[in-house]
Amino acid sequence: MTNHWIDIQHSDVIMCIGSNPAENHPVSFKYIDKAKDNGGKLISVDPRFTRTSAKADMYAQLRPGTDIAFLGGMINYVLNNDLIHKEYVVNYTNAAFLISDDFEFNEGLFSGFDKGSSSYSKESWAYQKDENGMILRDDNLKDPRCVYQLMKKHYSRYTPEKVCDITGTDLNNYLQLVKTFCSTGRPDKSATIMYAMGTTQHTVGTQNVRSYAMLQLLLGNVGIAGGGINALRGESNVQGSTDYAILYHILPGYLKVPTHTNTDLQAYLKKWTPTTDDPQSANWWGNTPKYMVSLLKAYWGEAATAENDFCYDYLPKRSGNYSYIKLMERLQLGGFEGLINMGTNPIVGGPDVQQIAKGLDKLKWMVSVDLWETETSVFWRRPGADPKTIDTEVFLLPAASSIEKEGSISNSGRWAQWRYQAIKPVGDAKSDAAMLDMWVKELKKLYAEDGVFPGPITDLAWDYGHEEEPDIDKVARECNGFFTRDTEVKGKRFKKGEQVPSFAYLKDDGSTVSGNWLYCGSYTEKGNMMKRRGLEDPGGMGAYHNWSWCWPVNRRILYNRASVDLDGKSFNQQKPVISWNRATRKWEGDVPDGGWPPMNEPGTKSPFIMIPEGYGRLFAAGLADGPFPEHYEPVESPVDNCMTAQQCNPAAMIPADFFSDSDKYPYVGSTYRVTEHWQAGAMTRNLPWLVELVPDMFVEIGTTLAKAKGLKNGDMATITSARGAIEARVLVTPRIKPLVVSGKTVEQVGMIWHFGFNGLAKGSSANVLTAAVGDANTGIPESKAFLCDIRKGGMKS
Amino acid sequence: MSRATISGEPDAFLIDLTKCTGCRGCMVACKQWNQLPAEETDFFSGEGYQNPKEMSENTYTVIKFREFEKNGHSIFSFYKEMCMHCDDPACVSVCPVNAFHKTPEGPVIYDAKVCIGCRFCMIGCPFDVPKYEWSKKLPLVRKCDGCYSRIKADLKPACVTACPSAMEYGPRSQMVQIAEERLKRHPDHYINTIYGKDEAGGTSVLYLSSEPYEELRFPSVPERPLPSYTWPALRLVPGIFATVVTGLTALTLFNHRKERLERERNKEKEAEQQRTVQAEEDKS
Repeated sequence: MTNHWIDIQHSDVIMCIGSNPAENHPVSFKYIDKAKDNGGKLISVDPRFTRTSAKADMYAQLRPGTDIAFLGGMINYVLNNDLIHKEYVVNYTNAAFLISDDFEFNEGLFSGFDKGSSSYSKESWAYQKDENGMILRDDNLKDPRCVYQLMKKHYSRYTPEKVCDITGTDLNNYLQLVKTFCSTGRPDKSATIMYAMGTTQHTVGTQNVRSYAMLQLLLGNVGIAGGGINALRGESNVQGSTDYAILYHILPGYLKVPTHTNTDLQAYLKKWTPTTDDPQSANWWGNTPKYMVSLLKAYWGEAATAENDFCYDYLPKRSGNYSYIKLMERLQLGGFEGLINMGTNPIVGGPDVQQIAKGLDKLKWMVSVDLWETETSVFWRRPGADPKTIDTEVFLLPAASSIEKEGSISNSGRWAQWRYQAIKPVGDAKSDAAMLDMWVKELKKLYAEDGVFPGPITDLAWDYGHEEEPDIDKVARECNGFFTRDTEVKGKRFKKGEQVPSFAYLKDDGSTVSGNWLYCGSYTEKGNMMKRRGLEDPGGMGAYHNWSWCWPVNRRILYNRASVDLDGKSFNQQKPVISWNRATRKWEGDVPDGGWPPMNEPGTKSPFIMIPEGYGRLFAAGLADGPFPEHYEPVESPVDNCMTAQQCNPAAMIPADFFSDSDKYPYVGSTYRVTEHWQAGAMTRNLPWLVELVPDMFVEIGTTLAKAKGLKNGDMATITSARGAIEARVLVTPRIKPLVVSGKTVEQVGMIWHFGFNGLAKGSSANVLTAAVGDANTGIPESKAFLCDIRKGGMKS
Repeated sequence: MSRATISGEPDAFLIDLTKCTGCRGCMVACKQWNQLPAEETDFFSGEGYQNPKEMSENTYTVIKFREFEKNGHSIFSFYKEMCMHCDDPACVSVCPVNAFHKTPEGPVIYDAKVCIGCRFCMIGCPFDVPKYEWSKKLPLVRKCDGCYSRIKADLKPACVTACPSAMEYGPRSQMVQIAEERLKRHPDHYINTIYGKDEAGGTSVLYLSSEPYEELRFPSVPERPLPSYTWPALRLVPGIFATVVTGLTALTLFNHRKERLERERNKEKEAEQQRTVQAEEDKS
C-alpha cells in the first residue's frame, strides 16, 4: 500500500477492482464505511456481484482479464476532458519528458520486440537527453514526443464504446463510474484504488497495476490522504515476507538477487545501483552499496571484510528464472531431490495442480511444515495416485500457529506490529524460526565435518541463543542493524554494538550491519519500535505515528511530498499529510519523503525519490512488456483481441506446447476466495465452525447458463478445462450475468479455490483447471481468467 | 460492576444492515463464546451462502442471506437474526416456572436449571427465537442470552466484538439516537424506520436497513407488548397450566439431578487428571 488501512476513511471515491474487501478483508470495511459516512462513494468493479458490490454505490461488471481496457478508457476520458491535476502532472510526473524518436507502437507491439526470444530490447523506450544528461522536457505538454502526447495518442483508441465491447460492461454504468472516479483530479478531492489478486493473477498482471498507477498520477491521487494504489495483501504477513525476500529475484529490502554475470561485488553494485545526472533527483537507490554491504555483514558477520568483498562470493548467483511456474516445471522434470513446504500447499494453490502433484512423485524426500495435514503433505494419497509406485519419503513437522509464537507481522499498510505469544505451542509443534535454527545449526556441524564448499554455511553469523526457541528479539535487532565498531556518521558518533537509528546512517565500509535496510529504524537504542501502542494522533489524520512502526522511517503515506504544491502547501487543506512550516523551515505532519525544502526552493529534491529521475512514471521503460499498458486478451479467451492483431501479451510466460480450445471450452472461468475459508483451506476446512458455513466445493453460474445446461441450485456438476476436470455443487445466482463481448454472449463460471481432497471438508481443487501461464514481469500465474466447460452430474456420472 | 449500573438503563444492540457485509464473524464468535457445536450442513440451505438454515439449539444467531433482482439491479443482503431481547418479553410472561427474565442490563436470560421444556416460550415468541434441544432425550430450550456473562464482566457481547463494521452496543437511548442521526444524515440511504424501536413494545436489538424490512423477511410484529396478548389467553386455562407445570417440573428436576451428578463426577475426574499431570511435571 502507498497509504494504509486507516487512511481509506479520507477517500472521496474508493474503487475496488480486482479485490473483494468485504469478503477477503472484512476489517477494512470499518474504514470504507467511515469514508461513506463522510459522503465518499464506493465503486465495485468485478465479474461477479459480490458482498463488496452489495455495499457499493456503483457496480460495474467486467470480463476477467480486461482491466487494462477498462482503465485505458478511464485514462482516455481524463485526457480528453482535461480532468488531470495539471500542477501535479507537470511537476511531479514524467508527462513532460520527451521520448526517443525511435519509440513507436504498431499493431499491438512496442518498438524493439524480438519474436525469437519473445522479449523486448528497450533502447527505443529511452528519454531524450541533452549533452549534460538532463532529460529534455516540454512543460506545455505540447511536443508530440512528450509522454503526455504519446499517452494521449495511445489511449485515444480506448473509446467508451470500444472498452465496453471488450469488457462487457454496460456502457451507461461505465460512463457514470468513470465520471465519478475522474472527478477527483481536483486538488481537494481524493480517490483510492484497492486491488488484490483479481488484478495481479493475469499474464498482464503487472501492467494492470501500472494502469491504476497511471490513472492515479494523472488525477494527482498518489501521496495524498485518501489516495494511492493500495494492494490488499492476501495473508496477514505477506507484506513482511515480501519485504524479507520471499520472491526469487529479491534480497531483503528489495535489493536485487545477483545474477551470474555479477561476478564480484563491484560488478554487482555497478549493475544494480542506478545513477542520475539530475542534481534535483534524490535517486535513493543510489544508496544500494550501503544497504548491500550491511546485508552481507548481517549474513556473514566477522567473516565479511572489505578485503574479501564482504563474502559476496558466498551469495548464490541466479542464472535463470526461478519463479513459481518455472520451479514447478523443473519439479515435473525430476529436477529436485527434495522439497520443503513451509506453510504452503502447492497441489491446491498452484496452477495446473495435477502436474505439480505428479512432480512430487519424483522427489526423494519431502518435508511439510504446517498446522494441519495438508493435501501436499499426503500427496501420495490423492485420488488416482498409486502409493505403491511413489518412493518419496515424507516428513510432516507440526508448526506453531501465529498465536503460539512471538515476532513481528507487517500488514498491507507496511506497519510492522509486534505480537506476543498467547499460549505455548500445542504438542510437539515448534515455530518456523525454531525449526530453521535447528536446521542451520545442524548444517553448520555437517559442513564443518566434510562440506565441499563449507564457507557460506560455516561462516554464517548465526547466533540466536541456545534455547529451543531462538532469541527473536536478537533477530529483530539484527534486522534493524547495529554498528560493528566505534564510528562517526554524518557528524554523529556511535559506539560499537549500538543500534543504527535509521538507514541514513548505514555505511558501505563494513561498520554497519543491517538485515533489512527498510526496517532500519524499527529497533533503535530507544527499543523495539514495533511494540509501541501509543494512541496519540495529533494531526487527527489517523496516522498514529506512535502505534507500532512502519517502513520506511515510520512514514505512513509514501510519496507524500507530492501531496503539496511547489511552496509546500497541502493541495487539500482539509486533509493535509504534510505541510512546510516557513517559520521553522520544517515539514509538519507525516514523516516527509525526505526532509528537503519545497520544490520552489534551492536544495530541493523531486518527490518520487525511489525513481532515478525523481518523477512518477506515466511512461515506464523498465518493464518487460512495454512502457504503456496495452490491452491483450488472456492466454485463454473466448474472443479475438479487437484492439490489435496481437492476441496475447507477446512477452508473457507461455510454455511452447501450450494449447487451448475455445470451441471445446467456451466459458470464462475464474477463481476466488470467500470470507469463510482461507487460501488452500487447511486452516479453515478443518474447523467445524467454518465448515458449517461453507461445507462444499461450489461453483457459481448465472441463471441463463444454468438453464442451458439443465442445472439447478445444489446440483453436482463437472467442470473441465484443457488441464483436467473437477466436480462441484452448483450455486445458481442472479449475481453472475453473462457478458456481451464483441457482439457475442460470454458466460462465466466462477469458483472458489479453497478445496482439496484432504481434511474435514473435502472437495475438488479449482486449480486443476487453471493454466501454468505467467505474467511477463513476475511470472504470476493467470488463475483469474481461463476457459472451461460445465456439464450436469459429477465426474463419475 | 456491570454496564447497566454505569449507564442506568438497559443496553441495546444497534445493527446497521447497510454496513453488514455478511462476513459471519458474529456467528463464529457466538459459537466460540458459547462453545456450541457446529451443525452439519449440506451445500447451502437458503439464498446466497446461507448456512445453517435458521437458529437452533446450537446456533443462537444466524446471518440470513437474500439475493434477488430489483429494478434491474442485483440485491445481495444480509440480516443478522438473534434474540431481540424485548423490553417486555413474551417468553418471560408465558414461562410457567419463571425461567426467563429481563435483566436491568438489557439481555433476556433464562435459567436452564428451572426450565421444564414446556415450550410455551417458543409459541409465545413472535420472533421465533427460543429453540428446543431436539437432539436430546430430555430437551430444554436454548437461545441467545446477550452474552450476559460478558456483560457482567463489563465486556461487550461476543458478536459485537467480532463485527468489523455493522454493530454498536450501548445504552438503548444512545443507540436510538445514533440510529436517528444516521436516518437524518443519509435519508436516501435508509428505510426511515428503526426496527425494534417500537416493535413488540420495543426491543434491545435495533436495526437499520436500506431495504424494506418485509423484503428481508423480518417478521411483522405489532407494536403493543406481546404479554398483553398472551397472558389474557393463558390465564384462562389454569388447570392445564398447573398440570403441565407440575409434571414437567418434576421430570426436569429429576433429569437435572442426574446431569448435575454427572458433571460433578466429570469435574472430579478432570481435577484428578490435572493433579497427575502437575505431579509429573514437577518431577521432570
